[in-house]
Amino acid sequence: MPQLFSNKRLILLLLGVILLVALISYSLRDRGNVSPPEQVIKDAVGVGQSIFSGPAHFVTGIFDNVDSLLNTYQENQHLKARLEEFASVQAEVKDLRSENAELKEIVGKEEDLRTYNPIHATVIARNPDQWEEKVILNKGSSTGVKENMAVMTASGLIGKVILTTPFTSTVELISTQNPNYRVSAMVLGGKKDVFGLIEGYDAERRELLLKRVDAEIDLKKGQQVVSSGLGGIFPKGILIGEITEVTIDEFGLTKLAYIKPAADFSLLNHVIIADRVAPEVDGEDNGVIEDATGTEEEGS
Amino acid sequence: MIRFWIPLIGLALFFMEPIFGLFSPLQLDGGFYYIVPRFLIMFLIFIAVYYDLKHAIYYGLFFGLLYDVFFIDIIGLYSFLYPAICLAAGYIVKSIQRHLVVTTVLTLVLTALFEFILYQFFKFISLVSMPMDVFLSTRLLPTMIANSLFLFLLGWVFKLVIDARLIEREKNPRLS
Repeated sequence: MPQLFSNKRLILLLLGVILLVALISYSLRDRGNVSPPEQVIKDAVGVGQSIFSGPAHFVTGIFDNVDSLLNTYQENQHLKARLEEFASVQAEVKDLRSENAELKEIVGKEEDLRTYNPIHATVIARNPDQWEEKVILNKGSSTGVKENMAVMTASGLIGKVILTTPFTSTVELISTQNPNYRVSAMVLGGKKDVFGLIEGYDAERRELLLKRVDAEIDLKKGQQVVSSGLGGIFPKGILIGEITEVTIDEFGLTKLAYIKPAADFSLLNHVIIADRVAPEVDGEDNGVIEDATGTEEEGS
Repeated sequence: MIRFWIPLIGLALFFMEPIFGLFSPLQLDGGFYYIVPRFLIMFLIFIAVYYDLKHAIYYGLFFGLLYDVFFIDIIGLYSFLYPAICLAAGYIVKSIQRHLVVTTVLTLVLTALFEFILYQFFKFISLVSMPMDVFLSTRLLPTMIANSLFLFLLGWVFKLVIDARLIEREKNPRLS
């Protein structure tokens, strides 16, 4: 039987392993930055990927269309029932909008945490090994996408941008296991708005965890949770989900609520990146807590 | 030009993986099942078995690097594991016969091993905290079922293309 490794090969193999460990630890340490050669590769692969994802989205689109065609009758019945309601709600919204605009003018307030410039993008790929919840979009820094911007679908928040290259951007979904992923949120529907942090995701229940809510405050099942915009990067008022259960957290000091996400994370297609109009500051939404406390100390 | 077919198929499979990834996780009566498409590594193992180990390792290095940079931002993970799996396939195939069924089984075993190594790695760097039994039932099993389906359907096509390339190379040794 021939020897599996000769001496020369053994040395090469060892060198290879050392190089490998060095490379992995180097790229693990700063995953937030992309070096120029990495950017070139990402953009090149991104172009190829969009060529392939176009037809794929077309085919899934056909299936979706057939599916919705089958449900047309029921949907129509449902919509007819809602139509009358809609007219009165619309009138009310118009009234409130004009009143809001007038009041803002009186106060002299121009900027608002709510306003943002939408950047429309298409999902070209999802990390196929799915150990991390990441998707890749076809818009990058050349169209104004920056790190930490909120990403949503028509139904709600899905994640935030963590990496950008000129023509692609990587989005970490809100259903990640990453412990540094925080979104400042607020609960609507009570007498006062309640503020808390979305921190973590329960993979078994497939629900988000809303933490750091004062134990005195009463939360109810079915209340809606939206982004508060106080984290510094996200706009205010993006729908995140609905409370399904309220408990006490592990230390018994604050409340913890389970939130069923409003958006569906599988089969993503068209998404909107929210470029907030109000100036952005470092805070919870970008996950860098050390920096945030550092600036606070400087400020005080 | 059969010569370019092998890299082209590799490229197509590379781009198809993330698109099939968009359909996952699959929801079946309340439970969620992750299906990870592993088309490329299966094709590379076929190259290592039927065509040429050296080519398989080069392709593995190239596509592994693309995968690392584009998807996971940890350089050196796939670009090491792809060639390593091909190398293992190349050594194992020396002592078994190259029948299509045997190769298919070998490919599936190596793919499962590949998936398991990745799980251990991500657990090691504490990116995931999934217990072993959950991993086996919600990830490895559905992944292997889906991938074996793919391989049973298209494994003979891989072999056909590689055989055609081998015949071409014999006729025309300059183009190797």
